[in-house]
Amino acid sequence: MQKTGDLVEEAEAAVAAPAAADDAPRGWPRFWPLLLLAAATLPGTAFFVIGRWGDEPAMQAWRTVCLAVTLQALPFLLLGTALSGAINAFVPARLFQRMLPRRTVLAVPVAGAAGVVLPGCECASVPVANSLIGRGVPPAAAFAFLLSAPAVNPVVLTATAIAFPGSPVMVPARLLASLATAAVMGWLWLLLGREEWLRPVARHTGHQPGHNRWTEFRRGFQHDFLHAGGFLVVGAMAAATFNVMVPRSVLDTFSSSLWLSVLFLAVLAIVLAVCSEADAFVAASLSGFSPLAQLAFMVVGPMVDLKLIALQAGTFGRNFAVRFSAATAVVAVLCSVLVGGVLL
Amino acid sequence: MRRPLQVILLVLIGLGLLHASLFTDLCLRYVKEGMRPLLIASGVLLLLLGAAEAWSYRRPGGGDERPEHGGHDDSDRGHDHDHSTAPRAAWLLFLPALSLLFYAPPALGAYTASREAPKAVTEQEHFDPLPATSPVPMTLTDFTSRVQQDSEQAIKGRRVRMTGFVTPDKQGDGWYLTRTIFLCCAADAQFVKVRIHGGPAVRTNTWVSVTGTWHPGGTLGTRSAPAALDADTVKKVARPVNAYEDALPLVPSR
Repeated sequence: MQKTGDLVEEAEAAVAAPAAADDAPRGWPRFWPLLLLAAATLPGTAFFVIGRWGDEPAMQAWRTVCLAVTLQALPFLLLGTALSGAINAFVPARLFQRMLPRRTVLAVPVAGAAGVVLPGCECASVPVANSLIGRGVPPAAAFAFLLSAPAVNPVVLTATAIAFPGSPVMVPARLLASLATAAVMGWLWLLLGREEWLRPVARHTGHQPGHNRWTEFRRGFQHDFLHAGGFLVVGAMAAATFNVMVPRSVLDTFSSSLWLSVLFLAVLAIVLAVCSEADAFVAASLSGFSPLAQLAFMVVGPMVDLKLIALQAGTFGRNFAVRFSAATAVVAVLCSVLVGGVLL
Repeated sequence: MRRPLQVILLVLIGLGLLHASLFTDLCLRYVKEGMRPLLIASGVLLLLLGAAEAWSYRRPGGGDERPEHGGHDDSDRGHDHDHSTAPRAAWLLFLPALSLLFYAPPALGAYTASREAPKAVTEQEHFDPLPATSPVPMTLTDFTSRVQQDSEQAIKGRRVRMTGFVTPDKQGDGWYLTRTIFLCCAADAQFVKVRIHGGPAVRTNTWVSVTGTWHPGGTLGTRSAPAALDADTVKKVARPVNAYEDALPLVPSR
């Protein structure tokens, strides 16, 4: 590595020197040789330093985990943004008004239950919820959908049943606790939510007369994907940092106390940012913890985690993401304790 | 981000995905085999998206859509937001794209494995009799559950052969034979480890095939028995194709 770095520097210096001697115009600052020297050596040095630093074992592990989270989420993000683009361009707004009950209080649980139809993980649901709001769905109902969709769809429930062969009651417990959290959060938004926390969603204006629907679909899809993708990378970096810095063997110290373990696994779900289609297996592998704590892990995980917070901040604005995620985490823990206390 | 740059970005991510999933086995370092078709489809989709964007940009008048947008933007909330510029966050997508194409990190290895507790082996009631061949090829999970759960003690005195990579023991001078298991992707990787006694010192992260017998300790068939092996031969092998799961290696380990 040292060798190649030096070679690159020498080569660049050799190229730069004669060129500089030939054509130094009069208006150049007096320290131009310094500038040239910097231009010649800095890229080589930077390349060398990044290469050296990037090949430390910890750094390699960080890059691997970061790339893994990104790769795992990318197809689902594409699905979600394609769906949101399609809703925006092809579905008329009155369809939603006809499907949802007119009273928002009732629309919230209906939208939450409708989450069953979106088979994907949480990355897909953020852009879809955003375009729903753009098409005139009340934000409270859209948020109920946003929260429940990644947790209650058939793929995730099947994975849960497979991961807990010994306790089939885990599946209804997860379903109920997730639906309850989604509905409570929707109603909370009705009570306390303020429009100004949301970034204006001007771009999801639906089909404009005189424009080609396919072009609108493609442009909306592309814009949403590039936007959300950038925030996905931010979230993946945060998750990878925690993943590498906090080894999972630390967990065992927390598994003795029931209350501590519930809180601890809830925090872990936020920090690890595991995809909702796999978090049941992760929960099952945390076998030292009580079923209640495992349930909390599976209810909190699809609703609040680092990459979701980053995605929400990008889509709805930072003001919203911080308040909404904090409230959701609290409600989700309470709901899973209540439901788990009765069922498990 | 300007539109030509968006085209480059979309094409780069698409190429990166196809490079990792279709042309090479790179993606297996990060995600499970089952994700592969999804990654290939995503790569193709992104390339198409990039091509469509490039085509509409090159078309006469396609590069300049601002007047049109201005027309309808004033109808709603006055938020000047048009689709021809992507937000600044999109720049970050260059990182995974370039990393996949030119600077792909290796699979998780000894560094992570030495920091994680070994994966708990699932309870197993019934064990089939071991095949009569010697040495018996086994997975690390299989060996561990045989040692700790099989009350018939079929493993006693049998020579077994297992394949994995070398993780040094933090406390002592010995090492663990290790395999990685993905539940979903590398972010939730777990590790099965078998302690190796005897045998030569091997470099960290080398893939080896170890033959030996169970290292006695505790009561065989109960949790007190250590998952450990007295090695008689340790051979370097090529990294198997299915390195990310605890299965018999898919490469002839001669």
